[in-house]
Amino acid sequence: MTGRHEVGARQGGIPAARRGGIRAAWRVLTVGGVISFRGLFNWLNPYIYVPTMLVSPIFQILLFVYIGRSAGVGSDSFYLIGNAVQYASIPCLFAMANTIAGERWMQTLGIVLSTPANRVALFIGRSLPVIANGWFVATFSLFAGARVLGVDLPVSAWPGIALTIAIASASCTGLGLLQAALALRVRSTAVLSNVVFGVLLVFTGTNVALDTVPEWMASAGRLMPLTHAIEACREIVAGASLSAVAPLLLREAGLGAVFAVLGLAALRWVEAQSRRHATLELQ
Amino acid sequence: MSILEAHDLRRTFTTTTGVLRRNRKEVEAVRGVSFAIEPGELFGLLGPNGAGKTTTIKMLITLLLPTSGSATILGLDVVRDAREVRRQIGYVFGGDRGLYERLSALDNLRYFAELYAVPARDQRARIGELLELVGLTGREKERVEGFSRGMRQRLHIARGLLHDPALLFLDEPSIGIDPVGARELRQTIAGLRDQGKTILLTTHYMFEADELCDRIAVIRTGELVAQGTPAQLKARVTAGSVVEVETFSGVGETDVRGRVGVVGALAGVRSVVVDDGAVGETLVVQVEPGADVTAAVLGALRGIRVGRVVTREPTLEDAYVQLVSS
Repeated sequence: MTGRHEVGARQGGIPAARRGGIRAAWRVLTVGGVISFRGLFNWLNPYIYVPTMLVSPIFQILLFVYIGRSAGVGSDSFYLIGNAVQYASIPCLFAMANTIAGERWMQTLGIVLSTPANRVALFIGRSLPVIANGWFVATFSLFAGARVLGVDLPVSAWPGIALTIAIASASCTGLGLLQAALALRVRSTAVLSNVVFGVLLVFTGTNVALDTVPEWMASAGRLMPLTHAIEACREIVAGASLSAVAPLLLREAGLGAVFAVLGLAALRWVEAQSRRHATLELQ
Repeated sequence: MSILEAHDLRRTFTTTTGVLRRNRKEVEAVRGVSFAIEPGELFGLLGPNGAGKTTTIKMLITLLLPTSGSATILGLDVVRDAREVRRQIGYVFGGDRGLYERLSALDNLRYFAELYAVPARDQRARIGELLELVGLTGREKERVEGFSRGMRQRLHIARGLLHDPALLFLDEPSIGIDPVGARELRQTIAGLRDQGKTILLTTHYMFEADELCDRIAVIRTGELVAQGTPAQLKARVTAGSVVEVETFSGVGETDVRGRVGVVGALAGVRSVVVDDGAVGETLVVQVEPGADVTAAVLGALRGIRVGRVVTREPTLEDAYVQLVSS
């Protein structure tokens, strides 16, 4: 037996075994999260990453900006912000699904689930690089889109924008975690991610303001990640202070937390079902 | 105390077919398996494909709940104490998957060291020792996608040993590896046995089990049909002989598979198996001591083109074939 199983010594009221467990979980969360993200997110290849993560969002932004211009509705800034923030869903949904459901294609799932690693740390750890990546992609899209279109985003707004996009990415990754659990079970990541991406594009006020869509769509949109972050980001660019948009950001973060908890519960359920019914082909 | 004790382990799977009219079918994959493994023992679990080896292992490594029965590892119940059991075991399976292809060997090991809570300060030394043990020192910074199957398998073993488990499960580790790679792998496993590591090895290869295992259990259609040392299992068939008849089947009446029943019913015949070859087949007939069945067997094969006929002493593989085919 190693030292991590000893329970005698106490420090600061925490038994040694518990301290060891916390330390191990922390390392699984941080070091493990980064390594597994590198191992499982196969879009990290520059030939895939640059076109998918850095070029495609610019096309999406240009498409909707020019539709807006030709239809004479909305400002460039409206479409730029909406599409840049919404594009965080590509890395957040696809990468989260890949880094969890991808274990099934690598046939590493059985090995991972036969380890004693803390499951919350294991899965949340994988979400941290996903959030960082989502933040980078959306921020880059906003910055590059603004330069291409000549939209002026005040320097003073950028700290607020950065925070808002970080919360949006975290929130969307929470949904990605739930979707990853489903993808693990139904053996497909891309189909589900594409569908969810489309739903977010329509329902979150990305290109059509929520007060102009049917009430049921607006209500549904308010229960989805990104909706409140996109609204907050637009207000910040329009000159609102962080404290003014705090309620929107709190709602966005709260939704993300709910989805993350649902995702973790779904992953726990999938693992338990697999032990009962051999549903994951763990090898 | 035994390291592992399994009592009457059973596992039933329910499969369904059809969309509108769902037909449910129950399959008993493991049917009352009991065995124990002592400290330092290399225990072999042998059986053909679909015999229940991997299902048994999955129950023991906590990935699958038994339908009934129980198993303990170091006294810990594999159902109730799953997380504690996972700390005590290592699990390695065969084939060329199960590693993160885009990562280096070192990163693969670092990742699993974290999952097994190997303290950060010990990781470097432990990984170095294991790379040395499996002969991958100097290759650790290369991506796994460039590794041969044998190298992957040795890396798997290093991964399974990261946390110095009390019991290591090796599930068909040599499957699909070329002869040189398989020999190196067997040397690695023999080295672990010599160090006193307790191992449960599953394999199809009788010579591998004969070379490595202290004790063997043979599993057939979910049930253990024999247990003992390799010498004890060999002794079950050493009295008697084996007649091998090379055949070149046609279709229908001239297919040797259609004559197995006839040959098996001959006086003095214990069991009959057909091994498919590249151009023909080999009919392997286990014969009772003192019986001479060659002429009768050739008579039963009338109409089928026959090649070489050999009578030889039985091997451990014959014991295995008899056990799993009778």
